[in-house]
Amino acid sequence: MASPDISIPSLILCFLLLVIPLVISYRIKLRISRTTLDAVARMTVQLGMVGVFLTYVFDLNNGALNLAWVLGMVAIASYTTIRNVELKMEKLFLPVILSFTVANLSVLLYFNEFVLDLGNLLEARYLIPIGGMVLGNSLRGNIVGMGEFYEDIRRNENRYLYSLSLGASRYEALIPYIRKCLRSALRPTLANIATAGVVFLPGMMTGQILGGASPTLAIKYQISIMVALYVSTAMSTTFSILSTIYTTFDEYGLVKKEIYREKDRGKGKRKGEKEKKTHRT
Amino acid sequence: MQDEVIRYENAGIHFGSKKVLSNFSLCIPKGKKILMKGKSGTGKSTLLKIILGFGKLSEGSVYYMGRPLSPQVAWQVRKDVAYVSQDMDLGEGPVRDLLDEVRSYHSNRERVNPEKLHILMRELELEKDMLDKNFENLSGGEKQRIGILISLLLEREIFLLDEATSALDSELKKRVVDYFLKHTDWTLFVVSHDREWERDGVKIVDIGKNGSD
Repeated sequence: MASPDISIPSLILCFLLLVIPLVISYRIKLRISRTTLDAVARMTVQLGMVGVFLTYVFDLNNGALNLAWVLGMVAIASYTTIRNVELKMEKLFLPVILSFTVANLSVLLYFNEFVLDLGNLLEARYLIPIGGMVLGNSLRGNIVGMGEFYEDIRRNENRYLYSLSLGASRYEALIPYIRKCLRSALRPTLANIATAGVVFLPGMMTGQILGGASPTLAIKYQISIMVALYVSTAMSTTFSILSTIYTTFDEYGLVKKEIYREKDRGKGKRKGEKEKKTHRT
Repeated sequence: MQDEVIRYENAGIHFGSKKVLSNFSLCIPKGKKILMKGKSGTGKSTLLKIILGFGKLSEGSVYYMGRPLSPQVAWQVRKDVAYVSQDMDLGEGPVRDLLDEVRSYHSNRERVNPEKLHILMRELELEKDMLDKNFENLSGGEKQRIGILISLLLEREIFLLDEATSALDSELKKRVVDYFLKHTDWTLFVVSHDREWERDGVKIVDIGKNGSD
């Protein structure tokens, strides 16, 4: 039993719904109309292209190509993370991409081998979509975790310096910040896990049910995927933070100012300041 | 020169394009008490931070125990020197946990003596229940006393005190100054506007009048 097709006119009807957030944005001066339209347009183009590519990739089902596809996604996820947390690429890209690769790939392969028990570990139908889910979740976790970590270090610099003056090693002085940002990074995933099924039917499960799978099977997949998501997010965020520390702090243990993208000299303005010049890349 | 602790040589500090200090030279031998005063914005706090490696001189050099400041030296300074800053920010949470955190640092492990905590708290007129209060809810004067308390707990013998007594009442100011000055072997480098520090045996460096010595 396949899902009913969505015709182009129906898609247009769906886009029509966007009028609502646009009106809200206009009335309350949220200034997110541009961003909304940009985002939706990007999504449509990206998914359209992915749809075409994936058809080929699934047909070919070549292990090396599938893996390359996943690594491509890893690179994009790393890039997006760094861009979103307002940091500069140079010092961060390498440690972040390594963390993403190690954490996500190991969970993904473990999942395919031991949970799904696939004959071919690199089977396109599993590797790519599951890889995408795992990466997407890691991406969100890393944006929250890394963003909060580097923002906090900058905002509470005095506190950090004071710890150093008390004889703390760099790691000892950073550990309260690491703890705090990892908690924030994992909280959304944990909340999702804890409310799965009660508040919402998770996307993957919904997809499988729409695709005609039995709810029992869909649920088993969902349970295992949520565990995988949590583990890979925890791993990748921890690795990203621990590994970037090596490139973002100088020999004196101070964070290198040049890693921050927007330069605000005035120390007076702090919080609200961020929203303004974030977009535009 | 054997026992010099800190020495500045023709030190200069620029904030952006503004020169706030130039040609500042000062040698602080072991056991010496120095009070540095002068208008705000003349780089006094920065001079202290530089010893800890939290900033760099725009010109000139600074030596600790005869060695020019380098990352290695700065990390050593952070283990040897007790620093109390103007705006004490220890973090969030109960004072007790924050003290435990400080105590857990590898370099402090054998140093902090729990009995001494109570003696010092009495000295600084800190009630016992202070330990259970959240640091961020303390008043400025209380935070300052916690800062002083920590600096004393670490049993270090060189002190950098940046306006460490500014928020205390006169009674307490006197007490704290007495306490620091009675230890003749301690080296003190104090930045303060408090008259209380101007005592016999304390050398005054007025930085506004172009650093002498």
